[in-house]
Order: sequence, then C-alpha cells, then structure tokens
Amino acid sequence: MIFPFLAIFKKELTSVLRDRTIIISILIQFFIASFSSGLLLGMLSLYDPDTILRFSDGGIRVGVVGDAESPLARLMSERGLGVTTYPTIQEAQAGFYRNEVLALVDTPRDANGNTEVKLYLPDSDTISSLIRMVIQEPLKQYENYLRAEKGIEVRYTDLQGKPATSFEFVYSVLIPMLMFFPAFVAGSMSIDMITEEVEGKTLQTLLSAPLTISGMIGAKITAAVFLAVLQCIAWLTLMQVNNIVIQNTGWILLLALVIAGISSTSAALSAAFLQDRERSQFTYSLLLLAGVGISTLLNISPITTLSRLAVGDAYTNGWNVLVFALFFALLFGLLLRVSRRLKS
Amino acid sequence: MNQILVIAWREITRLRKRFGGGASPLAVVLLLAVLGLSAYSLRDTVSLGSGLYRVGVSGDVPEINDSRFAVIEVSAEEGQTLLADQSIDLLIIDEDVFSRADDKSQFAERALKQYMEKSELVRVGNSFAEADAFPLRVGINYLSAEQPPAGNDAVDALPQSTKPEEIIIPSLTPPPAPFTQVLVALIYILPITFISIFFTSSFMDEKSNRRLTILLSAPVTPLQIILGKMLPYAVFALSTTILIAYLTKGDIPLALMIFAPTTLFIFAIYLMVPLFYRNFKDTTFISMLVTTMTTAYLVFPAMFTNSSDLAYISPLTLAVKMYRAEPFGWREYLLPSLPMTAIFGFAMFAGTRLLNEEFLMGYKPITRKIGDAIYLMMAHSKPWFAVTLWSLLVIPAVYMAQVVMLAFATNLPVGLILGATLLTAALIEEVIKTVGIVVLAERGVVTSVREIIGLSFLSALGFLIGEKLLLLISVSVVSQANVSSALFGAGVFLLIPLAAHFIFTSLVTLMRIKLRFPYWLALALGTIAHFFYNATVMRGGL
Repeated sequence: MIFPFLAIFKKELTSVLRDRTIIISILIQFFIASFSSGLLLGMLSLYDPDTILRFSDGGIRVGVVGDAESPLARLMSERGLGVTTYPTIQEAQAGFYRNEVLALVDTPRDANGNTEVKLYLPDSDTISSLIRMVIQEPLKQYENYLRAEKGIEVRYTDLQGKPATSFEFVYSVLIPMLMFFPAFVAGSMSIDMITEEVEGKTLQTLLSAPLTISGMIGAKITAAVFLAVLQCIAWLTLMQVNNIVIQNTGWILLLALVIAGISSTSAALSAAFLQDRERSQFTYSLLLLAGVGISTLLNISPITTLSRLAVGDAYTNGWNVLVFALFFALLFGLLLRVSRRLKS
Repeated sequence: MNQILVIAWREITRLRKRFGGGASPLAVVLLLAVLGLSAYSLRDTVSLGSGLYRVGVSGDVPEINDSRFAVIEVSAEEGQTLLADQSIDLLIIDEDVFSRADDKSQFAERALKQYMEKSELVRVGNSFAEADAFPLRVGINYLSAEQPPAGNDAVDALPQSTKPEEIIIPSLTPPPAPFTQVLVALIYILPITFISIFFTSSFMDEKSNRRLTILLSAPVTPLQIILGKMLPYAVFALSTTILIAYLTKGDIPLALMIFAPTTLFIFAIYLMVPLFYRNFKDTTFISMLVTTMTTAYLVFPAMFTNSSDLAYISPLTLAVKMYRAEPFGWREYLLPSLPMTAIFGFAMFAGTRLLNEEFLMGYKPITRKIGDAIYLMMAHSKPWFAVTLWSLLVIPAVYMAQVVMLAFATNLPVGLILGATLLTAALIEEVIKTVGIVVLAERGVVTSVREIIGLSFLSALGFLIGEKLLLLISVSVVSQANVSSALFGAGVFLLIPLAAHFIFTSLVTLMRIKLRFPYWLALALGTIAHFFYNATVMRGGL
C-alpha cells in the first residue's frame, strides 16, 4: 500500500521539478514580495512626512507673514520645517521668487473670529504635494490650538511612538503572504494533478495498479503540501538571514502546513465533484475567497494567527494552530468519502 | 465578420453548457451569499497590521474599534505588570497612555495616535457646533513659476493664484496621496483579469479536447478563430468597465477610452498562455506569473501620480486623474495606450502564426517552444525583413519588461538599483536583438558570417528606430523642454548607439552560431559589454 503511494508522490515531484514550474512559482512569490516592499519604500519616501523631513534635512523652507513666535510658525519649526518671516505678503512673495522659500503661509483672521490661513504653493505638482504632506501635521496641531482657545479639549494629543508602517507591513502582509501563497498554489496544483488524470483519461489505468482512489488523491495532496512546506522553510530562512526577527517558527511552519493541507483538500474536493479543470479552478478560487472572508468574520483568521505567532504575541500559541488542524482533519475525512465519485 | 460572430456565438453556447449543466441553483445561491458575506466582513476589518498590537485599558477610555488592536480590560496594577512583562504593548488608564521603550511598544503608540486622532475628531464633530469643532480653514493657492510683472497697484495686491482657490479643513482633508484612487482604478483591472482567465481556459479546453484541430480544418482563418473566441469575453470585460464607472461615478466614455487598450493588452497576454502550455500545471503557473507582472506594471507607476511624469506609463494614472477631475492631454493618453495596443497587435500576429496543430500539440521544453514560435513568426518572409521588423515590433514589450524590472529593482539597496536596472535592461535588449538571428541559424536559414553580420546590423537598426520612436513619445510627455530636438536632431549622435547595438548583437550571434558557445554564455558576455557601454554613457563618457 505504501509503495504505490510513494511512487505517485515521487512522480508528481519529479514532474514539477522537470517542468520547471516550481521555479515560476518561486519567481512569482519573489516578485510579489519585492514588488510590494519596493512599493512601500517608494510610498514611504514620497508620501510619509517623517521620511520626507528626514531626507530633506531642514531644506524645506516656508515663508510666514508676521511673527516667528506666532503659534503656527512655532508649530512648523517644531515639526522640522525651516521658517522665514516676512512683514507683509508682498515681501513674502518677493522672497518666494528669490527662491528663499518654497511656499508661503499668511494668517489673516476674519471678522467672526474664525481663522483662515492662506497657503501659497508653487505651481509644480511634485513640490506642492510634498509641501502639503509635511505641513499637514502642524496645521492639524494649529487646529487643536484654535479649538483649545474655544474651550474644546481634544484628548490623547501627546502620543508619539515610532512610524509603524514597515513593521506592520512585514508582519501582517509580507510574512503571511510568503507563508500562505505556497499553500494556495498547492491547492491549484492539486486540481491540476487530479483533473489531468481525469481529462487525459489516465485515471482508470492508474487505478488498475494496486492503489485505491483515496490513496492516489492522498499522494497527490501530500506532494503539493510537501512542496509548499519546502518553500516556506526557504522563505523563513531567507527572511531571518535578512535580520527579520520571527518568533515561533515551529508553530508557523505547522500552521503553513495545515493551511496548505486545507487548501489542497478543498481543491481536491471541488475537483472530485466537478471533474474538469476549468470549473474546479473557478470554484476553488471562490472557495478561497469565501474562506478568507468567513475566517475573518469568525475572528479566527489564519493570517492574524500567523502575524501574532511571528511577533511573539503572549496570548497566541500551539492551541490556535490546533483549531485549524482540526478543521483540516474534518475536511480530509470528507474528501475520503467523496473521492469515490471520481471513479464513476 | 460573419465567421467571427458564428465562432463567438459557439463560444457563448459552450460556456453556457459548461457552467449551466449540472450546477445546482441552490449551490450557486449559497456560494454567492457566502461571497457577499465575506466581502462585507473584509470591507472594514482587513487593514495593514491587523491583530498586531495588544492594549490594556483601565478606567474611562473610549472604545477602540480598529483591527490592529486587541483590547483587554485590566486593573491599573495588573496592567502595569502585563506591560512590564511584554504581554501587552500599551496601557491606557483614563487619559494617560503608558508604553515601553522597545520598538513594538513604540510602533503600537504611533498606531494608537493615528486611531485616536480620527476617533477624537468624530467625537468633537458630534459634540460641538461645526464652526467651533473645525475652526480652521486653509485656502490653497498656486503661484506661477514666473514672477508676474510689477504693476502700479502691486503694493496692495495679493499674490495671483494660477488655479481657483481650494479651501480645506486640515483635519478632514488628507494630503493628496493617490492610494484610494489607485485602488479604485485597480477594481477595473480585477474583473478584466478574471474574465481573461476564462478566455484562456476556453482555449485550453478546446486544445485538450482536440476540438481546436477540427476548427482549424474548417474554412476559417486562425485570426477569425481568435477574434471570435475573444469577442464575448471582451464585450463582457468592457461591460464591467462601464458598470464600475457607473457605480463609482466615473466618466463612462473616458473610462472606456482608458481601459479599452488595457483590456486588449491583458487579453493579448492571456492568449499566449494556452498557446505555450504543455500541461495543466504550466497554465496555472504561467497565468499567475502573468497576473503578477501585469499588476506590477499597472499599479507601480500609478502610485506616483503627480509626483513624477513617468507615472503616465501606466493607464491607471489616467484613471486616477479622471477621479480627481484633473485634465490630461492626448500625449498623456497615448503614452500608456499605444504600447498596449501595439502589443495586442503583435499578439494577434503571433497567434495567427502559432495556431496550428503541430505547434499546439508538441511537448517540448519551454525554451524550444519559444524558439519554434519565433521561427514560425519569421518563416513567412525574407530573413532581412523579418529580423528588422522583429526588433522594431517587440520594442513595446521590451519597454514594459524594463518598467517591471525597475519596479522590482527599487527593492534593492539604493546603491544597487541603478546597476541592477542597467544590467537587466541590457540583458533584455540583447535577447530581443539576437534571438531571431539565432533561431534562424539553428534551422539552417542563416549560415555564413556575412549573413550573420548583415542581419545583426539590420536588427540593431530596427531596434534603434523603435527605441527612438518610443522615446520621442515619452520625452514629449515627460518633459516639455527641447530635449527631443537635442536627442533626435543631430544625426551624428545616432551613429554611436547604432554602432554599439550592432557590435553587441554581432558579438552575441557570432559567439553562439560560429563559436558554438551556449546561448546563455554568449548572452551573458554581450550583456556585460552592453552594461559597461551604458554605464560609460551615463557618466557622460560618450
């Protein structure tokens, strides 16, 4: 019994290696990972005020009409902008055309006490959007200052912290993506392996060997999951080489294995029901979407579990992985009952 | 035309049979309901950083409704202990927030700051009169680049704005980052990709059932078969574009104009998948690769709308502009649309040449299959004509590949970005210029050194003309200055790159054909030479 199982397992692995398909899969993951982090890097340098101010090194100078001690001018210099004061708007404008400043701020107060700030930006899209990005925070603080003058208190304004975008990206997007993408590919691959036998009419030949239908499907799923886990190990190693600290790697690998098992089993289920590639792949991708949605709705999302395991959350451990393992076992049991349909 | 419609109708019938027969209506309804439910649940809850932070709260603290935070109610003492042993990242007691000095706690504090800013704004907005809650108005004006001439009344006049004044409330108006619009624009792309996967599947189904062979023996041309099979899917894809434009309150004719070339481009790419696949796994993986690459190509430049004119290489930038009600001209429209339409045209040509039984059914390594494909495209005309045209016509594809490479290269350390981009650009160019000649030589069409050198020259010439044409369009968009006349006016400047292209092409082809080097080795040597030439040019050496 075990030998035919191993034979099929080996056949699928060699076929994947021979056709170089696995290389494409790894390339895709590499592309997605580097593309998304490249995008993040680009976004950060263009749209994140902290990064802009750090790289501009005090080079963003703003002309203020009036007094350097006015609240808005003070808030802007506290934020790291260079402030130059001018007595009148006309002189400020002259300063703008002498390239002393990149933008102008004028604060006339209207009759009913509401403050209207006039912001004069250069006509270039690039520089004006950059200035709007960095001046946003002082303007918001100034707004709070004006609110306080009217007796409205805004709470929690003194919070600081460090910019968290990169951290959140790595642990909630990059690591889950690299751990679960192989699992989703494993599902697609299971459908291909099974429907290829059905549509190529090789299934009956295969079953004339001393092998049951569930053994055959089991071997194919095992091969797909095996490849997924191998990729996960490679990604985990690569990330750790790149100084990304990942906690609970053992549980993470087990979770990746279980999720690969769940996706391959549900893929095999749809293949067993529909018996052709076109409809099975379609149903599988819908099931995948639905699965992600429902798990989020039930608050047991594997993505969140994985992120928490990776950051070393104190309340997440092997028990959270076990919930998914249980579901996998149930699903696999169902597949064993349904797989007989393939014979007919 | 009639034949195309007949094939299109046959395609619709096939699809209806496949998805109509056997599927229980109950299962369909159930699946749709589940999908709707998941979309609903995902709408609010999925965000960057979901589930990463744990916060302990004690006393009068506003409710924290953000998927990034898991909130635990604690007493003040218990909270301090949990914070100290890193079980929680932040502790909020009434209006005071406690954090640790380590990174994770600091990240949590910044995330909380973002959340609290928003929720406090809602509270203030609901509890006070609007004028008090939002006491600041900012009028944004733009100053022209040239100083206006000083008139007599210049002493009192306010600065003149080049655009009408835009009034904003800082806490309610986020700075103009194009994320949301890019996401909306991406909604257009998803259904098109999904539909084109069905188009691919249909071809594969016909191929594995050998019905395509029967169709090919009927009195219809391969082009009619491709267009006929594509028609229903293309119509469907364009209808989704209209629907999305309608639902998102976009300009429907403009959205169609922007996304029609994109639709053609995506279909063109997906047409290649069934032509080249050998087994089902191939299709899955090639489709995934293609989806990744096209998404990267479309999304990456659009993120830089208004920051860099290069953003116009993606049609999504035009869509972002559409949603911001900002105008764009014909040149901006043609920069992304022309290469995409050109690629569609090229794919149609390739499709008509490759749609024959021998090519479709052959099981060979993928590199051999590509070689066969290139040969089939060239075999119908004289080598000198085929080689020149090949180098000229694949330019849009080269350009797209280089954009994708640039997108990926930005991920490298800053010092390596330029080098890596130059190297891959050189490799792509060398492959394109030499592959046609190598394929012809392997099939015995080209043999002598004279022929190889002659064809290398023509290939270099075709490539240069295509490259410069493309540059002409991009330069006229990217910069309105007289760069184009400097680039194209002086004849002698064109001779140097022509000579360089010619030398590298001859080098690779001669090494491969005459010296019998493996193709990858010849390419590597040619690429290195090309890379050094590019690097010298960039340093101003030539």
